[in-house]
Parts: sequence; structure tokens; C-alpha cells
Amino acid sequence: MNALPRLLLATALATCPALMPAAVVAEDLIVGFTLDADTLDPANHRKRETETVIRNIYDGLLTRDPDMRVVPEIAEAMTQVSPTVYDFKIRSGIKFHDGTEMTAEDVKFTLDRVTVEGAMGDGQTSPRQGLMGPVASVEIVDGDTVRITLKEPWPILPAMLPNQQIVSKAFVEANGTAGMATMSNGTGPFKLGEWRKGDAIILQRFDDYYGGAPDIAPVGAACVERVIFKIIPESASRVAALLAGDVHIINELPTFSIAQVKANAGTDVMTVNGTRSFFLAMNLQGEVFDDLKVRQAAAHAIDKDLIIDRILDGTAARIEGILSPDAFGSSELPAVSYDPEKAKALLAEAGYPDGISITMDTEGAFKDTAEAIASMLTNAGIRTTVAVGESAQLTEKWRTAGKPKSGDMYFSSWGNGSLDPFDIFTPTHKTNDRGNSAGYANPALDALLDQAAVEMDAEKRAGMYREAELMINADQPYVYLWVPQDIYGVSKKLSGWAPSADSRINLHDACIN
Amino acid sequence: MSLSRLLERLLQLIPVLLGVSAIAFLMMALTPGDPVQIIIGDQSITPEQEAELRRGLGLDRSLLERFFIFLRNALQFDFGTSYYHRRPVSDVIAERLPATIELSLVALIVALVTAIPLGVLAAIRKNSILDRLATVGSLLGVSLPGFWFGLLLIMLFAVQLQILPVSGRIGYSSEVPTITGFLLIDTLLHRDLAAFGDALRHILLPAITLGLPMTAILMRVTRASMLEVLRQDYVTFADAKGLSRRRVLFRHALKNALIPTVSVAAIETGSLLGGNMIVEAVFGWPGLGRLVVESIFLRNYPLVQAAVLLYAVTYVLLNFVADILYTVLNPRVKL
Amino acid sequence: MTDVTLAHTPPADSLFRRNLRDFRRNRLAMASVIVVLIFVIMTVAAPLIAPHDPNQTDLFRRLQPPAWMEGGDWAFVLGCDGLGRDILSRIIYGARISIFIGVVVIVLATGVGILAGLAAGYFRGWVDVVIGRVVDILLGFPYLIFAIGLMAMMGPGLFNIVLALAYKEWVIPCRVVRGETLAVRELEYVEAARALGAGSGHIMWREILPNIMSPVIVVATIRMANVIILEASLSFLGLGVQPPTASWGSMVSDGRAFILEAWWVSTFPGLAIVLLVLAINVASQGLRDAFDPRFSE
Repeated sequence: MNALPRLLLATALATCPALMPAAVVAEDLIVGFTLDADTLDPANHRKRETETVIRNIYDGLLTRDPDMRVVPEIAEAMTQVSPTVYDFKIRSGIKFHDGTEMTAEDVKFTLDRVTVEGAMGDGQTSPRQGLMGPVASVEIVDGDTVRITLKEPWPILPAMLPNQQIVSKAFVEANGTAGMATMSNGTGPFKLGEWRKGDAIILQRFDDYYGGAPDIAPVGAACVERVIFKIIPESASRVAALLAGDVHIINELPTFSIAQVKANAGTDVMTVNGTRSFFLAMNLQGEVFDDLKVRQAAAHAIDKDLIIDRILDGTAARIEGILSPDAFGSSELPAVSYDPEKAKALLAEAGYPDGISITMDTEGAFKDTAEAIASMLTNAGIRTTVAVGESAQLTEKWRTAGKPKSGDMYFSSWGNGSLDPFDIFTPTHKTNDRGNSAGYANPALDALLDQAAVEMDAEKRAGMYREAELMINADQPYVYLWVPQDIYGVSKKLSGWAPSADSRINLHDACIN
Repeated sequence: MSLSRLLERLLQLIPVLLGVSAIAFLMMALTPGDPVQIIIGDQSITPEQEAELRRGLGLDRSLLERFFIFLRNALQFDFGTSYYHRRPVSDVIAERLPATIELSLVALIVALVTAIPLGVLAAIRKNSILDRLATVGSLLGVSLPGFWFGLLLIMLFAVQLQILPVSGRIGYSSEVPTITGFLLIDTLLHRDLAAFGDALRHILLPAITLGLPMTAILMRVTRASMLEVLRQDYVTFADAKGLSRRRVLFRHALKNALIPTVSVAAIETGSLLGGNMIVEAVFGWPGLGRLVVESIFLRNYPLVQAAVLLYAVTYVLLNFVADILYTVLNPRVKL
Repeated sequence: MTDVTLAHTPPADSLFRRNLRDFRRNRLAMASVIVVLIFVIMTVAAPLIAPHDPNQTDLFRRLQPPAWMEGGDWAFVLGCDGLGRDILSRIIYGARISIFIGVVVIVLATGVGILAGLAAGYFRGWVDVVIGRVVDILLGFPYLIFAIGLMAMMGPGLFNIVLALAYKEWVIPCRVVRGETLAVRELEYVEAARALGAGSGHIMWREILPNIMSPVIVVATIRMANVIILEASLSFLGLGVQPPTASWGSMVSDGRAFILEAWWVSTFPGLAIVLLVLAINVASQGLRDAFDPRFSE
């Protein structure tokens, strides 16, 4: 066998000191990350992972603190002048990485670039336009204040603004949208060192950093000199890299690896409540699930606690409505008990004494959980076959926005990065909306959601969402399952960093000891 | 090689490339899944904004129109803009290509360097223990699923022994300004031995995983053709003339025996490039294969089309190279 | 390698018998045939041999180690997977899928390949040119990209996996058959048949095909080994068989996430693949030595 000489060669190479990398003086902070950034242009993408990287290079008008509260960052203060007019006073003395001063002009340019049709050049509109809601205009008043005027009230504007990062007008005009994809000139704590596409993004500390949001201590330049996002898509390889000490933070730590990472001497696990709600969508236009009793039977058939305990290792919070327990407007709802006998009785009442046979669609990543759910449903008389599909196919099959759909049940989820109900309730429950996989249609709920979307009084608004949650809890168009935590593996050498619920990895305060 | 034969070969390229483009286009077009929906994901958008996004990507046009636009632009080497990277597809591919080529070449070298001596030895000592071991080894080599073997290597060398890195192309302690894009060459050009060693440590496991099946195949080809040559009259004659055994083997036999090995190697290099995606995924290798697979799942049509075209051109050219090698090494063959 | 041409002898039963005798004398090859047979028996008798229902989940046995390790249980000899299913039973049932896919793909591909190859080699001219171009186009398309694309287009499922693998696989027997046919069609006995007024169909099926079957069978067995590995690769890319069906490929690829914590989940099905594929390869090497010696040395 010819492997032996090669193994010997490998060993020799590995142990030969001359070929080992030289010792590093100041240790880099390395993040083992699932995906490469698509682009470095803050206005030209639609992906969380990309935003995570960009957020360390660019700062926003507003940002979120570790508890998901919205706080000023580049803006010094925010004033709501009327339900449709917001004023942002811009902090002075902020510098871009190229040394130029940032002004209100740059802020207006940034927001126009996102909101105005065709503003990206070449007739292109920013794909992030949808995240800015009904913006009518952006103007500069009094030299250092930027005024955003809305076409209609949109109470979640402050919650959505952390999604936009401020770019330099001069830099964009010099390099064009094409240049923005690979070059960067932000105001954030790190500047771009080198982007090895598909492999790593190397960031360097920006020494003239203005310090960041005053509400998030510490304020000042970043702690580490270099930060590296190292792309490792395979989860086993990511965990292996952490255990081997190659990286200091990894995202998407699989639940079954928690014990091993905790047991390892140099590593630990950190979690934060996530924002993604998991559910089973039942096709209300189909033959079986148009009956409330059958839907309730499905809800009673599933032992959420057992799955959370055994498969998710306790890292999820169960839900009875669409909202995460951490979301604005969420409240205690009547819980559906785990009761397979009751499920069978409900099926019999609905006219299916011998049970029913259905298919449950899901993506490959959730195969295990889906199969566990399927066997529970089967035990309760809903004989379920899991069909694994590709996400692109399933999206087309289930998110039909009102057009007729095939299929029985869909194990899926919807993200809610802002933790504001508008972002998740409307798309998944409003009649014919984009993410309404169940095909649920309830005019009373539609009216309530429309009203809540523009209600400016926070307390009243929360009350409306409570009412909406009670409606869907009773109608059970979905079986609401759980909101998993985001799980990170970290090195014990790391300090000053905690995961954030919006799944961003902000490295400004992180240190390596 | 005659000029007309060369021309004929080049002309063959045209129907192949047209056919491959048409199949790739149709395949992507008929595949369910809407790029616009995938891009938006769970984030909020109004129907008007969605339509605007669709128009911006050119997806509001009819299928036929899109195909002809693609062909027209492709003739001018413009393959469109990647939906996600928002940059010309040719740029995105060019950034990832060197890593893939480097890995394939190192795998090829690993395969040649192990396969030829072993194959020759096995042929000279036919039916010895060594011959049998080599035969069984080569059969094992083509029987291992690549991704499984790769994972086992990671487990052993990176996790248990911790002597080789888990993934990536090179560490971050040294900066290697790009000259050729091939790290093993660039580090040497910069006379940075430490970085060269580091790059070598990174490429070792993926190259072995990728090169293993090829090693097995090349060894069998070398052994077979060496045996064939050893039986030929001129070798027997040289032997009879009293030339030293070593001289006969290396001067005469080996040179002729390597002809099939080299041409099979050239053709197999094509499948090496195509088989890269699995190894790249396992080892986090930042190459083109991984990008193409991701792009299919994300319905990034322009990138998939350009990459498929690139693979097809490579395939035809490698066959061409195999032909030429065959002629150069064996002047008796007239093509 | 397929372009090698040698004189062919007319059909003779005695030759076949002699070849078979040669093959039987090859001990390693015979041992491999027995291994393959054991796997085949496993597929048929799976319900009788498997200790458990392969799809019975038990979340309390999630990632239970093999019997000889701490926490193991002899009732679940090779341990349990991520849903607490018995790995041994799943390997036994999984043999069905791997062997089914290997056999069906090769039978389909060889059938199509023989038809196309015979036509191209016998009629030559424009038939040969058209088939040649189609072959070139398919070969120019990277195998995995083609398979992924087809699977994405048609959706998952066993039938579609077979199609995705067979679509291109026929090209290989086609090339072999064409090369052989080109050589055989000029031989005397074919000429003689033609002179006697036999039709093209008769000549192709009765005179040419029987004489070129040896290399076709040899190539088919080698490719079958390859197809089994390709099925595993498709699973790795997330395009394998549907749950809860066990296939070795999907077991290895689902288990790879656990490889640091529970190596047994992907290692045992991986070994099963290696054993079966190796046995097929050794057997086909033996076949080739016995039936088609010009390939082996």
C-alpha cells in the first residue's frame, strides 16, 4: 500500500521545525465562520452573514446593545418630530478609515442610496430597499441633523435602522458600486486588511475609531489588533478547529457538540436566545388540514419538551404563538398539552377514526428533528412521511403568496432579527402574504395586523399583538414549536465578547488574553 | 500533428460548448426555485420592491430572450453579474480558480510520483509480494468514498495528532502578495520558506484525498503498459545484446511504457477538476468547486453557466493535450 | 484503453467455459464474489437478519456507543445514530438501496450504451457523428454538477437518483461498444453473414454483440462500484434518498456531523461501502483477467 510513505512524509513535514509557521507576537482573534461575505458593500446584499462581517467595518446611525435595545451610534440623538418625521443629530469628529471626516452629507447619501430607486447606478436599486419601509425623503437640516420623512407612520423605523451602515459619499463616487463590493471605507472599529475570497477576511484595528456607541461600554479603539473571519462551512471541521485551538469563536455550534466543547479544557460554550421561530405549517387549503380538529390533533401529538431536551439539548424556548418570548408584544398564551390520546380522539371526531397519512416537507438541515416529529405524529395516528427537499424548491412550493399550493405539512421557520412582531407576524399570517405557508386567511386578523403596524403607542400596540396571538393560538394554522438559542463555541482565552441575539458578531470589545 | 487535424479539433469545440451551454441553461431554467425569493429570505419587502429586484437581475425577461442575451454576451467573454456577489461572474470565478487548479495539480503530482515508481516496480517484480500489495492497494484506492476518507484523515492528523491544520489554504501569520495565485509558487518567489511550509501543510491532506483514486488508476495503467513493453521484441533484443538490465529498463522500456500513463493522466485531470467540489467542502478549500455547488443551490444562474462552460473548455483542451502528448512521446503515432 | 483492437475469434462456448474455469481458480476473486453474494443475501433477507426495525427511533438511545464501549448495549451492537436507531439494522437494510442503485443504473446505462455504441460503430457516418457529439457534450459536463443539477430539477427520490446517475453513465459502455464494433464489423465472419444477405439488425445482435460482451461486462462491474460511491457523494451534497430509508451514503453523510462525538455513526456504514465496492472491484479484476486478458497485462 502506497499510503505509508506518504504518511511518513506528512509526519516529517509536520514535525520539521523550519517549516512550522513562526510564532506570532500579538495573537489574532480568529472567528470560525460558516459563510464568506457576498460583498463588502453595505447596500448591496441581503444576507445576515455578510452583514455580520460588514458590521465590524461600518457603523450605523443606530445599533443594538447586547440586550437588543436600540441605542444611538453615529447619531448622537434621535428625536421623533411627528409620527412620520424623525430627526437624527449626527455626532461630530467621526473619521472614515481613509482619514476624511464623516458628515451629515454622507448619512443622507447612504440612506438615499438604499431607498431611492436606481440609486445604485446602472439602473439598479438596492436590494435592501425593503428594509427601510415607506421612506419618502432624507434631508439635511441645520448642517448636522438628518431628517427622515415617511410616507406613512412606521413605528419600527428605529428597530430597522441598525441594518443600514454609513458609507462615504466621496469614496462611493470615486470607486462606484462595483468598487464598493471589494473595497471598503467605513467608520467602524476595524478596517479591511485582506480579503482572501472563500477563505478568510482579515480585518485590522482602526486606531482613529471614535469609540462606538456611548451606551455600550467600553468606548474606544478595538482591543485586538487583527481580527480574522475564517470560513469553515463544515460544522464538524469548525468544531475541530476550535478544539485544536485554531480559532477563538465559532458560530452555529451543533447541539450535540456542546458537551464535548464544555469538557475540553480550553473551550467553553456561550448561548443567546435566538430570534427564529420554528413551526409546522399545515396546508389549510388541503383536504385534511382545513379541519381545525385535525390541526389541533397535530398540535397535541407533539412532545415539544422531549425534542427540546433530547435533540436540541435544552437550548430552545417553546412557543405557543409565532412570537419569541423575547419579542416586543409577546405574552403568556394558552399552552397545547402533549396528549396523543386526545389527538386520536380529535382525529376520530373529525371523521378519521383510523388516522390519516400525510407528508411533511423539510430541508436537509432539519432532517433529524423532522423525523423525530414525524414519529410522534405517527404515534398519534397522523402517519407522517418526511420528504427532504432543497430550500429553493420548498420555498417555491410553500410560499406561494396566495396561489394554490400542494403539500400537507411543512416544517419550517421564520427569522425575526429585529424582534419586532411586524417583521414576522405579517409575512407569516396575513392573508396571501409572502411567508404565509399555511395559507391562513382571517380578515379580522389582517385588520388587526394593519392597525398594529402603524400604531404609535407602544402599549396599545403590544395589546394588539397579544390579541392577534390569541386569535392564531385558537385557530392553530401552524403548530408553533420553539425558538432555538444561537450557540457559539469560544476559547477561554477570549474575554469581553458575548453573543448577540441578532446573530451579529461584534468584535469591538473582544480581547485575547 | 497536422494542421488540419488541429483545426478539426478546434472546430469540435464549438458544438460541445454550444450543447453544454444549452443544457446548463435549460437545467437551471427548469429547476424550481426563484432566485429573487432566495435573495430576500425572511426579510420584509413590498411587491413593488420585489418586482424592481427581479428587473434589476434581468429575470423579468422571457427564457428565450435570456438565453440569447447569455450567448451574445458570452461571445464577448461577458458572463454576467453574480446575483449574490454583485460583481462580474468572471471576476468571482477568477478569484477562486487558482486554489482549485493548485489543489488539482498537487494531487496530480502526488499521484504521478507514487503511481509511476510503484507501477514500474510491480511490473518488474511481477507476482512478488510487492506486486500483490500494490494491486490490492490500488483496488482499495478506487473503493474509498472521497469524503469519508477525507474525514478520517482530518480526525487522525488534525484532531487526534494535531500536526496538520483542519482546513484552509494557509495561516495568517504571513502575508503573501499574489503573483501567480498559486500559494506554493508565490511563497517561493517571495523566498518565504516558513509560508511555503505552511501552505504545504495545508494542501497535504486535501491533495492526498483528491489524488488517491487517480494514484490507483495510474498505477494500474503503468504496470500494465510496462509489462506490455517488457514483452516487446526490441527489449528482448536489447537484453540479448548484453545491455545492462537497468539501462534497458530506463532507457528503452520506461519511456515507451509511460505513454499511456501520461495520456490517461491528462484525461483524468479533467475529472480531478470536476471531482474537486467534495474535497473542497470537506477541507474548507476556497476553490471553485464549492462555489459552484453553493451557486446551484442558490440558483445563481450566471455563475453556474459560466463555470460549466469553463469546465467544458478545460475538458476539451485536456483531451487535446493528451493527444499531443501521445504524439510527442511516441513519434510512431501519426494523428 | 478501449481503442485497443485485437483479432476476435468467432463465438465458441468452449472459450467461455475455459474463461469461467480460469476465473474460478482465482481465489481472491472468488472470495470477493462470496462477499458480494453475502451482501446480496443480506438485501433479500434483511427483515430476517436485522435485529431491529431500522426506522424505529428512540430519543433516549441517541448516539449510543457500540456494545464494547462504555454505555454500549449488546442489543445494539454497532451503536445508535442521532435518532437512536440501530446502526447495524440500518446497514443491513441500507445494502438494499446501495445495491439496487448500483444494479439498476448499470443495467440501464449498459442497455442504452450497447444500443448507441452498436449503432455508432456499425452504421458509422452521420449516426456516429451525432452520437459522438452527444457523448462529448455529456463528458464535457462535470459529472457531479450534472447530477446535482438534475436532482435539483427533478426533486429528490430514489427514482430520480437512478436517473441522475444513469443519464451520463451510458456514455462509457457506449464508447467501449463502439470501439469493439468498429473492429469486429470488418472481420471475415461478419462479412460472410453480410454476403449471405443477413440484415443489419441480425448482424448487430447475432454476430457482433455476442463477441464483444466480455469487455462490456468487465467495464460494467467496475462502473457499478463507481456508481455506489457516486450515490454516497450525492448524499454528501444533500441529494440522497428520502428519510427514513437507510442508504449507506446517507448514513455516512448524516453521521459526519457527529464524527467528533460519535465516530461510529458514519464509520460503520463507510466501512460497508468500502467492503462492497472493494469486493466488486476485486471480482471485476478477476473477470477481466479471465475473460479479457489483453486488458490485464
